[in-house]
Amino acid sequence: MRVGILGGGRWGQALARLTMAAGHQPFIAYRDRSERPPHLLPSTNHPPEVSEACQLLIVATSASELRQAIRLAKPGPQNRVVVAGRGIEPGTGLWLTQVVEEECDAVRVGALAGPAPVEEILNGGLCAGVAASPYEEVRTQIIEALHSTRYRVYETEDLIGVQLAGAFVPVLAALVGMATSLGGAGVGLHAMVVSRGIEEAARLAKAIGANPATLSGLAGMGDLVAVQGTPSHPNFKAGAALIKGDRTQGPRSVAEALVKLAHDHGTDLPLTESMVEIWHGKDPLEAVQSLMARKATRESG
Amino acid sequence: MDSGLFQARPRETVLRDLMSRVRKGLDGLDDPALLATLEDALYCERKRLERQTPKEHELERLDRLTDALVKGSRRARLDAGMSLVEGWGEEIHGRFDPRLYRFATKALPRALTGLLSAKPDHLRDWDLSPSRRLKVTGPLTQLQQLAKEATLILAPTHLSNLDSPLMGLALYQAGLPPFVYGAGLNLFENSVLGFFMRRLGAYTVDRLKRASLYKEVLKNYSVMCLTTRHHSLFFPGGTRSRSGAIETRVKKGLLGTGLTAWQEMIAAGRKDPEVYVIPLTLSCQLVLEAATLIEDHLAEAGKQRFIISDDEFAQPRRLATFGRRVLDLDSSVVAHFGAPLDVLGRPVSLDPDERREQALRRRGYVCDVNGQVQWDEQRDRLYTDRLAEALVAAWPKGAHVMATHLVAWVGWRSLELAAGQRDPFRLIRIPTPLRRIPETLFRERLARALEAVNAGAAAGRWHTDLPSAASDILAQALDRFGRYHRSRALARQGSDLVVEDPKLCLYYRNRLLFAAPEV
Repeated sequence: MRVGILGGGRWGQALARLTMAAGHQPFIAYRDRSERPPHLLPSTNHPPEVSEACQLLIVATSASELRQAIRLAKPGPQNRVVVAGRGIEPGTGLWLTQVVEEECDAVRVGALAGPAPVEEILNGGLCAGVAASPYEEVRTQIIEALHSTRYRVYETEDLIGVQLAGAFVPVLAALVGMATSLGGAGVGLHAMVVSRGIEEAARLAKAIGANPATLSGLAGMGDLVAVQGTPSHPNFKAGAALIKGDRTQGPRSVAEALVKLAHDHGTDLPLTESMVEIWHGKDPLEAVQSLMARKATRESG
Repeated sequence: MDSGLFQARPRETVLRDLMSRVRKGLDGLDDPALLATLEDALYCERKRLERQTPKEHELERLDRLTDALVKGSRRARLDAGMSLVEGWGEEIHGRFDPRLYRFATKALPRALTGLLSAKPDHLRDWDLSPSRRLKVTGPLTQLQQLAKEATLILAPTHLSNLDSPLMGLALYQAGLPPFVYGAGLNLFENSVLGFFMRRLGAYTVDRLKRASLYKEVLKNYSVMCLTTRHHSLFFPGGTRSRSGAIETRVKKGLLGTGLTAWQEMIAAGRKDPEVYVIPLTLSCQLVLEAATLIEDHLAEAGKQRFIISDDEFAQPRRLATFGRRVLDLDSSVVAHFGAPLDVLGRPVSLDPDERREQALRRRGYVCDVNGQVQWDEQRDRLYTDRLAEALVAAWPKGAHVMATHLVAWVGWRSLELAAGQRDPFRLIRIPTPLRRIPETLFRERLARALEAVNAGAAAGRWHTDLPSAASDILAQALDRFGRYHRSRALARQGSDLVVEDPKLCLYYRNRLLFAAPEV
């Protein structure tokens, strides 16, 4: 099978390697020369060629570049489009699969999520991901395209849950980065942020009709564990920078979109809302104190 | 008409084809699935017949099926099941006479117009021009062209048992060919409209038959209608809206037959395989069965009756009164034909060239790279979900806000404000003094609601069919409320307006839920 990959960056190349490990041929669409992948991988800078040649397209761009990638590649009714990115489009607050449907005629869409340590994958490390789509044939195709002894692919119908997890992880990563950098804080705060962060994400999942358990899977907890183990991760560093007063980095627009989504569905996200307040100028220490001063409540539900 | 549309096919041929299709489906089931299907049919039919006077042949068929299920071979079970299917097939197709149909679709719309506006004392004064009573809007010229090149499914909202004949009139006025449709068995038993039903392309649907096998027979029949290029009408809501609101959920069984028919026609190499779905929104100042429907809506959850056989529709005198006092008014009903959708719920271009290109590309949703149809029931269910969502989104866009809707909205909102709560079960019981609204206050609220409704209409979110001044809207609504129902939703008493019948007020107010204008 030929597997189309939109995006020739490191993540696109990692996915191409996994495709080959599963016994298939990748075909990468890259945007310009600076992004051109190593010449050993089949590729083109004419993206519609990839949509024409491959039924299955995996989009390996950042969330903010996805719309443009779809416009360039012009997938059609025959394509199955799987987004391997972070859940929500900054600015619009749309799920990335919604962006795909807005920009092209493809309707059979899905998402691939989970821990994605790109360098490890490129160096032959072992890993796993989750393929989400309501379409059984999309799940089957993505498993066929990527599942191998190097990379296990699990499947779920919970497309929204997986995209929600993908959107939450960068925010939680920034929170963890902030918690670990706060003077006097230890593993207790770290552990609280991780577990309560997953809980509030699961609460939102339930409110929007997704499966809360998805947040405890590869796309949620799995991905978060991978980010925590990578201190150089940009979102982790953005959280640490917030403590020092640098409010210019981090997934601010995604966090704002999540807060809006939560309010629209009558639920709250104390940790995420605190992050947004810090980005808006609130003192981080004061934000932590406000969180700790909240009334006691049930652990879940 | 092109492509043999509406050509008579012998009854035996139709039934044989139907049997063959259903048999093929049953043959494809493994033994446990076949057993489960037939046991379900047996159980549902036995339960149904407990509530009805069974006919001898029905009992014989069920006894035969029982024997086959207990001790028969697979073949015997299949034959016994098909015997049941044969009986259903005859009932479904039995009342449909293609020759009468072709004649009747030309002559009956005018006669029906006469019936609905009958003035028994002045028979010679019948005005048979339909356009005065039923206003038909939408891209009619383009739809006429679509009807020539493709098979159409008309998907209307459903308010009243009068909708079926009104649809017949609407199609006639829109310059569209007649459509076949499934009408409930109870409608055929109505003394007045049964006459028209038998002649207006209706096949029979018995909603008391709950067996999954019966539903399969109906779906197969529908696919056969579509693949033989009979334009079809489904009410996707399944039954009349009990609350008065535009449907926000639809049943997908028959709706999915459009997708099946499209794929079958592609697989057969047909040159005209396209099936398009036309959303239609019906807006009425008053609804014949409003009082019964809202009672049913408010009945305890889970006890709503799916089929109501003792409502106003079953009373010829009430029907005639409704026709005389309501439908005789100018534009008391508006049928809006919406923009066409494909069987996945995607917009269909009104430009012929673009439409041709769309049709070719659309095949990619179901065909492989060689153009062969890839059958996938799971995918098709999701495609039909998309169509259902598109219809639910399209219906409000075709709605025409009318005086009775807007005034009832303001009336009900005034009740909510006076009582300080929104629970409809409490509001329908609040004492009369709280149901009085000073007319000046009411007019202020009506003016604000009118402004919001007009803004929505200007933005293309819906339409209005209203007098321009709020005072005229109020006068028209009060006139309409007093015309037919035994009690009035709203009435003027001195310097106040009074919600006389909160349930009726709620019913007509619900029609505006999609717009929800601030007062």
